[in-house]
Amino acid sequence: MAWRIGVDSGGTFCDICLFEEESGEVAVWKVSSTPDDPSRGIAAGVQEGLANVGAAPGSAGYFGHGTTVGTNALIQHRGVRTGLITTDGFRDLLEIGRQKRPDLYDLQVDKPLVLVSRDLRIEVPERVRHDGSVETTLDEATLRAAARRLRDAGVKAVAICFLYGFVRPEHEALASRIVAEELPDAFISVGHEVAPEFREFERVSTAVVNAYLGPVMQGYIRRLAGRLADLGIATPPHLTQSNGGVIGFDQAARLPVRTVLSGPSTGVVAAQELGRMVGIGDLITFDMGGTSTDVALLKDGQCRLTGEAIVHGYPIKAPMLDIHTVGAGGGSIAHVDSGGLLKVGPRSCGAFPGPVCYDQGNTEPATTDANVVLQTLNPTHLLGGRMAVRQDLAKEAIGRLAETLGLGLMETAQGILSVVTANMARAIRVISVQRGHDPRDYTLVAFGGAGPLHAARLARELEIRRILVPRNPGILCAMGLLLTDLRADFAATRLTVLDDAAAPTVEDAFAELAQRAEQWFTEEHIPEDRRATLRTVDMRYAGQNYELPVELPPGPVTAASLQALADGFAEAHRRQYGFVDAEGTVQLVTFRLEATGLVAKANFVPQPDAGPDAAPALIGHRDVWMPEAGGWVSCPLYDRAALRAGNRIAGPAIIEQMDATTVLLPGMTALVEPYLNLILEFPA
Amino acid sequence: MSTALKLDHVAVDPITVEVIGSALSSITEEMGEALVRASHSTNIKERRDCSTALFDPSGATLCQAEHIPMHLGSFIDMLPHILKRHPVDQIRPGDVFIGNDAYEGGGTHLPDFVLAEPIFDGGQIVAWAVNTAHHADFADRGHAHIFQEGLRIPPIRLYRAGELQQDVQELILLNCQVPRERLSDLRAQMAANRLGVLRMQALCAKYGRDVVLAAGDALQDYAERKMRAGINAIPDGTYRFNDVYENPEIDNELAFSCEITVAGDTMHLHFDAPPQVRAGLNMTHTALLATVYYAVKCLVDPTVLPNAGLARPLTVTATEGTVVNCSYPAAVNGRCSTCQRVVDLVFGALAPAVPDRVIAATNGANTVAHFAGTNPDGSSWIYLETIGGGSGARATKDGLDGVQVHMTNTSNLPVEALENEYPLTLMRYELVDGSGGAGAHRGGMGLRRVYRAEAPCRLRLDGSRMRTSPWGLAGGLDGARAVIEAGDLPYDHGLVLMKAGDVLSIVTAGGGGYGSPERRDPALVARDIAEGRLTRDAARLIYPQAALDG
Repeated sequence: MAWRIGVDSGGTFCDICLFEEESGEVAVWKVSSTPDDPSRGIAAGVQEGLANVGAAPGSAGYFGHGTTVGTNALIQHRGVRTGLITTDGFRDLLEIGRQKRPDLYDLQVDKPLVLVSRDLRIEVPERVRHDGSVETTLDEATLRAAARRLRDAGVKAVAICFLYGFVRPEHEALASRIVAEELPDAFISVGHEVAPEFREFERVSTAVVNAYLGPVMQGYIRRLAGRLADLGIATPPHLTQSNGGVIGFDQAARLPVRTVLSGPSTGVVAAQELGRMVGIGDLITFDMGGTSTDVALLKDGQCRLTGEAIVHGYPIKAPMLDIHTVGAGGGSIAHVDSGGLLKVGPRSCGAFPGPVCYDQGNTEPATTDANVVLQTLNPTHLLGGRMAVRQDLAKEAIGRLAETLGLGLMETAQGILSVVTANMARAIRVISVQRGHDPRDYTLVAFGGAGPLHAARLARELEIRRILVPRNPGILCAMGLLLTDLRADFAATRLTVLDDAAAPTVEDAFAELAQRAEQWFTEEHIPEDRRATLRTVDMRYAGQNYELPVELPPGPVTAASLQALADGFAEAHRRQYGFVDAEGTVQLVTFRLEATGLVAKANFVPQPDAGPDAAPALIGHRDVWMPEAGGWVSCPLYDRAALRAGNRIAGPAIIEQMDATTVLLPGMTALVEPYLNLILEFPA
Repeated sequence: MSTALKLDHVAVDPITVEVIGSALSSITEEMGEALVRASHSTNIKERRDCSTALFDPSGATLCQAEHIPMHLGSFIDMLPHILKRHPVDQIRPGDVFIGNDAYEGGGTHLPDFVLAEPIFDGGQIVAWAVNTAHHADFADRGHAHIFQEGLRIPPIRLYRAGELQQDVQELILLNCQVPRERLSDLRAQMAANRLGVLRMQALCAKYGRDVVLAAGDALQDYAERKMRAGINAIPDGTYRFNDVYENPEIDNELAFSCEITVAGDTMHLHFDAPPQVRAGLNMTHTALLATVYYAVKCLVDPTVLPNAGLARPLTVTATEGTVVNCSYPAAVNGRCSTCQRVVDLVFGALAPAVPDRVIAATNGANTVAHFAGTNPDGSSWIYLETIGGGSGARATKDGLDGVQVHMTNTSNLPVEALENEYPLTLMRYELVDGSGGAGAHRGGMGLRRVYRAEAPCRLRLDGSRMRTSPWGLAGGLDGARAVIEAGDLPYDHGLVLMKAGDVLSIVTAGGGGYGSPERRDPALVARDIAEGRLTRDAARLIYPQAALDG
């Protein structure tokens, strides 16, 4: 018996999915997050989950993990006190950025908070020139003094970023060594290691985010690895990166900035696999958790990959899936702002103390409280009966808000949902309409603990006609971890002109990358026959500053493969820009090797059609407040676990399961498809 | 216009209007990305000194991407001038018009080359894809009148039915100092419009041409309604403001004034200034319109869609033949600084009416450093950059430090790109301590850029607020002035000759403060001191309430 374990940990809940490789048995488990130290909740949950299926920790053959620790710390500015050491004359660069104002017309908008305050940005005399020559040598004594200043100021992390550090890294390396001597406990983030590419502002921003989040992520990873080892789990744990690829913990701890979108990208990968299973390629993912919500768009099953993105206001140079996150979820706190308007989020009550109805000390109502009052959520118990809730407390809290607003209790509770829906719709417009995609052509995949609860109203707002609710929406991400291959990306920037003499450079560059990939394959214990690689080159015309990726044919680098690169580039450039510059010099800029380790995956079996009658799954009725039906309406209540393939349900209805609640509005229908996913549709 | 379609019968639901509106924004944004990514000159590929837009067949703006507000002035007269010269029935798919002239269409100054391409659907023009890119060329020219400033190009065909007009292109390139870069950037501009054409045609295929056109009209009506609602909320009355403008090119100060009348849901803005001057700082009428549209949109409702509808409730007048509304053949190259000061005028005038929305005077310039030199192989190199500064303080918070303000929003050039491409070294790039005007909310800090020449070059500087200060509001104090720290280098009317090894720094102005300094939160004073933005001694004088000891 070899169990594969997938764990997705968010700000509010920690989801565990277990899969037995031989029998194909799947089990899910959900526990509250422990935000002060998420590894504690995870370890406890894994232990409980394994015990629940009667498995010994030692039998775990794989451990995959996605986390929102990084992204939440960045949103809520809960990174560590960070210092920056940089080239003399350039300490303000982090603040000036690209000197653009944050909004073209709205002059009240502010720049994002600078993660290192000005007094902790220290300049040291040193200067490397663009050709790599040293104009001013870094003085060790000055640097040591700077490091001591930061130490005395109590920083927990230091970013080191000099001009041209990616061309000639010696100064950064020396600085790194001295800072390590002076601040042995500090996390050190070095520009050329984090993002060895030109454009100093984006590089320093990446190095600073890496430093700011470093101790948070590294501490987390180490604690988790330790707890897993203590449990007796022997298999090396893995983490999802922002690009959807999965890597080992040790690698992840080295560059935390690459896992900022770990949790969100896990959801995208999971939705991608789900879409493949159900046969729907055009999807908009709606992953609503307790603290934040992530949305992404998949066209033909693919999510756009970017090499640089602005994440919560901060430029980050790292491969990332194109995901948009809003700081609002089931735990977001509703409040009345200074202008007298009802707002929800970005503050979240988290798992502790949790919503008011959890009766753990919080008195400010959250989205979940509104759902408990409206009875879209079970007013007495959540998590399949494992957690009692106090509707009376939720009513009191929302009642206080209603008084301030001068509205009724139910109108206020419903108002909280309307504000949440509008926030979510705006987020989806960013990744769909603003990129030229009409959301009406897509299927909404609703997951995360709160996704299926809010999906119907969100879809209606966007005129999306079809919603896909996975079999276990609350733990889809955790399940996705059991459906993905291991992947690592290796890259080297080596500016080369594409001509007959380029072959040795290309050969060398890829040989080096292949060697790194080999080492990774070995570390990951991936057998020879399960290894795959893909080689691409980012190319441009000399003079351009943006590249187009072109695939290099497998095999040795020959005149023919160079010609294939030239042809591929010309074709890509024509497709993208409509012209080819026949006299233009073509440059090879960055060489990339994507290494994939194919793993055995959970294989789900389609279920036989049991007919449309869902009556066997009917477990009762509950009054639910639905303004669509004019107020209180008696809704049939279904047990998701008892639904069979082919069953049909007409709205209004509520479908409950351990990890989520699905709301079906009047007029909607739900169909259970063969893999037991729900397909919700609005009438045409 | 004859190709305009009658659309009264087409009813489009509000959601479709919104979706098409967002699609138009996406198209212009995507055009902009293509332009930047395919381009070769630093001014486009890194500094993004370019803009993209879609126009309807009547020449009204359907959508302008959020790049550079100034560039709207290059767009709004382009189509009327094309149609004046070229009968619409002779315009064919694949025709591409190029123009840059401030008086005959297509520009507010000559370096902004506009490319316009008609978008056909079903044999009819449904829209135009238009973009402009600031070609960093025409350097080291005179500015007595427009003939000195570069090659004047009226709207003519660069492509005819998809065929490049080689003769036209060669004529243009021979008049440019860095022709290879011009050619590459022109191709990038072609790529941008091509995307606009394809995307717009796809939109028509999906929703139907009539629906798209009707939605375009509905979006303009919507912008107009929002604008009128916003103006309606401003107290009726006549508001006036005066300011003084100076510039390195001229020795005297120019008195500017404006008078704004708000009546119900309309606004009339009138400007006056001295007669146009023999210097490159005059504004054409289109530059004035683009400036006013920007300023009013910011103050009335920043969320109004950037289309022609927003201009309908506005009337804009200015005495003809003046610096703010010049006539042929006035020189116009550095008009952007002048435009910045016209925005300040509008804000100053409306301060009593909308005190919570205006901001104090910004750094009040479009500070341009224009370097030109000769490469070892005899060819020319030209590098142009514009430098931000302090923005004005706001009614409830400090002004933004070190940003581009109002009519421009170009990026800086990364140091690592600058030094790689040109014989220049950037020694420092920093916020100027103490430069933000004091107040309950302080003005934004100016910027300092220190350059070292690695080879002989000529530097031409453009800007303002060197001899006057950015004003504060409601008791807020002035921001610090701009200054050129040229040391012993010969400096004359913005021109500097630099030898290898010479160092020069450009300091831009800080923004004005808002509200009396006495009302500033002592904690903010303490933060500014701790962060070195303000010295303790200066703070003691300006902010006695902060109780600074030691």
